[in-house]
Amino acid sequence: MRYAEPETVEEGLALLSTHDDARCLAGGASLVSRMNAGQVAPAMLVSLHRIDELATTTESAEGLWLGAMSIHRAVATEARLRGAMEVVRSAASQLAHPAIRNMATLGGSLCLADPKTELPAALVAASARVEVAGPAGRRSLPVEQLLVGAFQTSLGKGELLTRVFLPRGLGGAVGHHLRFSRVSADYPTVSVSLVLAMDGETCSHARVVLGSCGPVPLHVDAADAVLVGSRLEARDVAEAGRLLVQASAPLDDVRGSAEYRRMLIPRLLGRALSQARELAHV
Amino acid sequence: MSHDAKPKPVPVPVGEVVGQSVPKPDAREKVTGRALYTDDLVLPGMLHGALLGSPHPHARILAYDTSRAKALPGVRAVLTAEDLPPVDIGPVIKDQPLLARGKVRYAGEPVAAVAAVDLPTARRALELIDIRYEVLPAALDVDAALRPDAPVIHAPRGEGHPNVATHIRLVEGEPDKVWARCDAIIEDVYETPAQQHVYLEPCTTLAAVDPDTGRITIHTSTQTAFRVQAITAEALAVPMSRIRVQVPRVGGAFGGKVESTNQPITVALAKAAGAPVRLTFSRTDDMRMMRSRHGARIYMRTGATRDGRILARQVRIHYDTGAYADDGPFVAAIGSYFSRGPYRIPHVDVECWSVYTNKLRAGAFRGFGNPQVHFASEIQVDRLAEALGMDPIELRLRNALETGEKWLGGAPVESGTLRACLEKAREVSDWHRRRERPSTTSPGKRRGLGIAAVGHVSALLGSSATVRLNEDGTVNVSTGAVDTGQGSDTALAQVAAGALGLSLEQINFSRPDTDTSPYDWCTGGTRTTFTVGHVITEACEQVREQLFEHASAILERPVKQLELRPGGVVGVRGEPGLSTTFGAISGYALYVAGGPIIASSRWLFPAWQLDTRRTKVEGLPSMGNGFFVFAAQVAEVEVDEVTGKVDVLEAWCVHDVGRALNPAAAAGQVQGGFVQGLGYALTEELVWKDGHLVNPSMSGYKVPGALDVPVAIHPVLLERAFGPGPFGAKGVAEVGVVGAAPAIINAIRHATGARLNQIPATGERVLRALLAHEAPATKDG
Ligand SMILES: Cc1cc2nc3c(=O)[nH]c(=O)nc-3n(C[C@H](O)[C@H](O)[C@H](O)COP(=O)(O)OP(=O)(O)OC[C@H]3O[C@@H](n4cnc5c(N)ncnc54)[C@H](O)[C@@H]3O)c2cc1C
Repeated sequence: MRYAEPETVEEGLALLSTHDDARCLAGGASLVSRMNAGQVAPAMLVSLHRIDELATTTESAEGLWLGAMSIHRAVATEARLRGAMEVVRSAASQLAHPAIRNMATLGGSLCLADPKTELPAALVAASARVEVAGPAGRRSLPVEQLLVGAFQTSLGKGELLTRVFLPRGLGGAVGHHLRFSRVSADYPTVSVSLVLAMDGETCSHARVVLGSCGPVPLHVDAADAVLVGSRLEARDVAEAGRLLVQASAPLDDVRGSAEYRRMLIPRLLGRALSQARELAHV
Repeated sequence: MSHDAKPKPVPVPVGEVVGQSVPKPDAREKVTGRALYTDDLVLPGMLHGALLGSPHPHARILAYDTSRAKALPGVRAVLTAEDLPPVDIGPVIKDQPLLARGKVRYAGEPVAAVAAVDLPTARRALELIDIRYEVLPAALDVDAALRPDAPVIHAPRGEGHPNVATHIRLVEGEPDKVWARCDAIIEDVYETPAQQHVYLEPCTTLAAVDPDTGRITIHTSTQTAFRVQAITAEALAVPMSRIRVQVPRVGGAFGGKVESTNQPITVALAKAAGAPVRLTFSRTDDMRMMRSRHGARIYMRTGATRDGRILARQVRIHYDTGAYADDGPFVAAIGSYFSRGPYRIPHVDVECWSVYTNKLRAGAFRGFGNPQVHFASEIQVDRLAEALGMDPIELRLRNALETGEKWLGGAPVESGTLRACLEKAREVSDWHRRRERPSTTSPGKRRGLGIAAVGHVSALLGSSATVRLNEDGTVNVSTGAVDTGQGSDTALAQVAAGALGLSLEQINFSRPDTDTSPYDWCTGGTRTTFTVGHVITEACEQVREQLFEHASAILERPVKQLELRPGGVVGVRGEPGLSTTFGAISGYALYVAGGPIIASSRWLFPAWQLDTRRTKVEGLPSMGNGFFVFAAQVAEVEVDEVTGKVDVLEAWCVHDVGRALNPAAAAGQVQGGFVQGLGYALTEELVWKDGHLVNPSMSGYKVPGALDVPVAIHPVLLERAFGPGPFGAKGVAEVGVVGAAPAIINAIRHATGARLNQIPATGERVLRALLAHEAPATKDG
């Protein structure tokens, strides 16, 4: 196996193009353990650690660009992630455990595209976009278009993810992330990420995304539509929950049966909405 | 133990060392990473071993082809059963080969072994081993295994179903006749999981064979140097005199390292390769290949009169022992023996089966069959209290065995302190207030309090110790006891210090080495402090006699006027100015008269033979039962009604430890036991699908982490010093795990009304129980 530590994105792209089986190394939290277990054996490992650009955060009027190499702890402590963007901060601060949060990265989370994880779902809730660099230059796409299946992204050969854009979202909107796991340091059984805005007692905006309920983060426009304009009463939540359950294809594993996950969806949605609502009123 | 003779008064330690929470001397090296474990050791030319696991739960082995693996550069030895002596091992039933022979009986069972220059090469070689199998139908649970036409896992041994490894029956009184006299009868089926030890240090062995003498040296992580020596000798057909076992630091064991782990196969590899071999399991190999606690299904029925006297109990226990019996027969024995609980129940009928299945073998695990039956019993007693309209503690108090009463089978309870434990637990947990007014909490969450009474044993089997005086008056203590991390080296050094009035700096406590240490059976069965502590005090007593004999000559006073004074001094009672030091006496013994001061002591805990006039006994394998110990555990939980998740908020664990030799260490055992019981209660469970383990990793199989454990687990140590343990100390190590699960399940019931008869009480199970409990209520309006 070959190993390199390029210092610019362009150098990195050049290295990726030298081997058919080259891979980026971000935090290594997943990649290295899969290599140790013999599940993958890349011929070339391109470490992204020395590429400053990938560790940079920039702010604009529309929102925040976070570098792909931002570790979860850095995202969790980024004070500028307020309002709708808070959903990402909140997910990053709760996920896994401190060792993983100190190692693993935003870009790694997206490129791994593990349906057990929650950060991709929080990014979908935040309407994030990603920037991808490749042999043909740079392009930007909504995060849903990156996440195409379980452990599958739309990244092409020789491409790498450079940064993630989080739009500020509606004024007055709040972002919130609720996870449920067997023990504190586990992958979530189900996670609920949402962005909510209230106009008095009426919901004026809702975007709900579930993790672990399908191969990719589960977002159902019709469920959001049920909530918007409602007073978020029990029957509204139940109806939105029903639509989400209907569209879900939950994982079925040691963290919970598919049936249990379907039971959890409306129950956790209700809790997440009432917690978010509290935040919206502060 | 003196069952008939009058018990001796409990001796009093000299000096201040006993009873102090002195830090473990190995704490710093462990925290800083300097401690040497087996996997840290390297010998010149050392190779790395790895084992190939079976891909099938049950299959006949048709043919091996190891030629490709042997041809791989760097591979030095490849072994299958064909290369090993045709020996089967096992503590009770000799049913297990070192590598599967003829057929495989569980997925993951070692079938071949490799030694190579490094681990990646060894692992690659495993992939090059070709084995042809004929897949056989598998029996994947107890029900399937007990069907008349079930696949037969081992050649039948006599009558009965061939898949029954052990069958036990214990009957006392006339249970059939008294049910009619009971005012309340509760009957249920309880299920407990295959919990795994998840010791921090996976099993590991470094073995070397001297090319000239053939002498074998083993460094290994184990609970017993001497059993490793004996089992390796048996498995490889070599005399024990040719085997030396040394034990570096051990990173936890919990029963999983009581029998052999990978020692014999590592030795076989070292012999075949002609070089030292180290074999350390990955976590996943350890989980797939080693052992678990016995999963159990327990039918139990208990009846009581209106005034709360428990009259009768019927118990049917099925333990799933997996593919090999291992310690299963003993586990079944303990389970049967404890299924009456620590209660006075005159009419009892217990039947217990240990059943082979095509799964990972189950063996010894902290609590040894007792957590399973306590789980059933303590939940059932709570339900009985409910049915009788009694407070759960009150019902337990009414039936608690007292000193002098008899255990199931007739053994006397010598220090019946369950009542004291229950009363103390009631007081420290503020039981009545919390039961009547559970503390309020956030919406969607409910709190409750539950209790379990616990009876267990300490001691059992044989130990020995040697104590000798150095020239400067300090002392060397040798035993075969392995400190598995629980701190016995510290507590036992304190015992020696207290017996002779020395400071800890004056004690050298040596670690086990079969070449030089006196025999000890095992660090297991809550026995080390008790049994090894006993022989240390006895040996120290002989040393004291030798010291006094010389001191009498030196000080010119009769022996009976002499006393030990703290710091290694022999003085004369009533004459404060007159004394001599251990150093002076040692010099006298070495150069003037008598010879070196040394003493050794040995002991076999006298097992109680069940009283067959009182109890009808069938099939109970002989076991070195021990000294009864008692505890009461209270847990406060919070149940999330949205998800079913249970958090344990606080716990009170009252244990009669006899004497707290090192209170911090004893408290650590109490807390650690409770936490392991919390995992058993809420999250820990090996899961199989089609005979394959689904979660053999620390990500799939969840032990509680620091954030999942209540900050306040209050250890309350009662000190009712009694019996032959050192200064009246009783064992505590396993006890803490025994009652945690039922206390937690009883608390869930108190919080929500939900009834759970199965652990772990995962969110999913609790949520379903909650919904089932609420369903009829909604119907009623
Ligand atoms: C034990 C454990 C527990 C976890 N628990 C959770 C949890 O509870 N919730 C949760 O949301 N997540 C969880 N995760 C996932 C974690 O947050 C990360 O998503 C994951 O570890 C990958 O991040 P990494 O930076 O370590 O990536 P790596 O392991 O280095 O890489 C992962 C994959 O992404 C590719 N890659 C990485 N960066 C780029 C890039 N910039 N461009 C192109 N390809 C790239 C790599 O080539 C590799 O294929 C857990 C992970 C582990 C190991």
